[in-house]
Amino acid sequence: MKAILHIVEHDFRNFFRYKWWLAGLISMNLADLFIMALVYNQMVHPDIAKEIISYFSFFAPGVTVIGLFASAYMIGREINMEVRREIHHYMLSLPITRLELAIGRLLAGGLRGMMYMSPLLLTTFLFLGFPSLSQLLAILGALFLLATGIAGLSIATAVSTKSLEKFVTARGLVYYVLFFCSSIFYPLSLIRTLGQEGIMPQPIVTLAELNPLSSGTDLIRSFLMGNPPFSFDMIRNLVVFSVIFATTAMFAYMKLLER
Amino acid sequence: MKTLRKILLVVERDLRMFLQYKFLIILRAIWFVAQIAFFGLIASRMVVPDLADIYFEYYIAGVVIMMLYSASVFIGYDIFEEAEHGVFEYLLSLPVSRRELVFGRSIGGGIRSFIFVGPLIAVSLFVIGLANPLNFLIAFAALFLFAFGVSGMSITIAVGLKSSDRFDILMGALNAFIIRLSTTMYPQAFIQEASPAYAALTNFNPVTFASDLFRWGVGIERYLTLDPMPVAAIVGLVVFFSAFTFIGVTFYERRLEGGGWK
Repeated sequence: MKAILHIVEHDFRNFFRYKWWLAGLISMNLADLFIMALVYNQMVHPDIAKEIISYFSFFAPGVTVIGLFASAYMIGREINMEVRREIHHYMLSLPITRLELAIGRLLAGGLRGMMYMSPLLLTTFLFLGFPSLSQLLAILGALFLLATGIAGLSIATAVSTKSLEKFVTARGLVYYVLFFCSSIFYPLSLIRTLGQEGIMPQPIVTLAELNPLSSGTDLIRSFLMGNPPFSFDMIRNLVVFSVIFATTAMFAYMKLLER
Repeated sequence: MKTLRKILLVVERDLRMFLQYKFLIILRAIWFVAQIAFFGLIASRMVVPDLADIYFEYYIAGVVIMMLYSASVFIGYDIFEEAEHGVFEYLLSLPVSRRELVFGRSIGGGIRSFIFVGPLIAVSLFVIGLANPLNFLIAFAALFLFAFGVSGMSITIAVGLKSSDRFDILMGALNAFIIRLSTTMYPQAFIQEASPAYAALTNFNPVTFASDLFRWGVGIERYLTLDPMPVAAIVGLVVFFSAFTFIGVTFYERRLEGGGWK
């Protein structure tokens, strides 16, 4: 446990080295919320506005999840850099087992995402109202699962290539598919309607429904706005995503260390 | 004539360098497709009926301008890369004056962004259609000024800052605000309803001039911000281009003296 905490501490120290990057990310998230969402408030169709209260309220949980995703994914960039510079050889010289190293990196990635996301979640609470204690614990638990899964996905991608360019391209692809094909920007019901009309292909609709970012965002909305209603499918999607990618990342990282 | 030839050599070098960034080009192309195939399509079903019939086309035109902006900004990152790897010293040793070097880089930055955005403009024309080819040609030509101006702005900021981290953050934040406080994603009438202060800022934003001009060029004339079109947008872009190209050239020239970029 102590060894894992050392690794987590090491990664947290690294995280604060990216203060400029974090400031940029915050400014983008705030611009999305306080400019884009406010303008879309005026543009949303009255029928949809009834469903989502206002676009600003609807989008605030989405921005929280965007921030969580971007910051949790950062661990992959660091690990990719270590792979390229072969710093993992130094890691192996430490009196820490490979499993502890892998768990520590994964946990650090998830916790960094949680830490970055906290002010955004607080902003969401300030505008949408505070949840009950049990709801708050459920939200934090769900977001931690999401953050760990994202860190896992990022680590798995990072160790699969030595090229920074390939990693950045893969990251971009993951970002865009998961962000746009989710309920972060628009209600899932709208994507389903487009699917029923044949405008959106059915696999895309299914992807949006199973997308962990949709589940995380909608879970916050269900507690703070009451719509969409809470469903255990949201938890199931997050658990499945987190377990698959956390396990894959740990094995992939340990495999890398053994090379 | 000799000067022009030297500027063209600098432009050619920047164009060749840009083609090395094939992963960046792929990434941006994926972003473009995701923006129009997901966000544009779904958001057009989410907006008020008055806007719904044209929002998809309106948004595609905005995405083209966002791409043009982000591709033009990229020259600043090249400048940092060169400073870090000591290429600046090599460039200064060439028989090219500093002014020719900077002017060439600004032009090169603009042209390569057009090469990058060209296929995307073709895709957008295929989706939106083309109401008046002459209007489109006028808009297309004026957008070069926008691209050169953004490259000049990027060079000015890159040369003004000595830390690549600071440049990265400043460009990220500038990108976040300059795009969102423009008419790339939404018409000005709705920005005005949301916040008169935001609406006032969009009136002076070069991204608004470029978006309006491109929409005017392809025939999406409802919800244009500037009046009279296209004169107002072209005048705005000429002012923007002149300011940043000439400030950029002067600033870059001064910084180059005595290793001021280090």
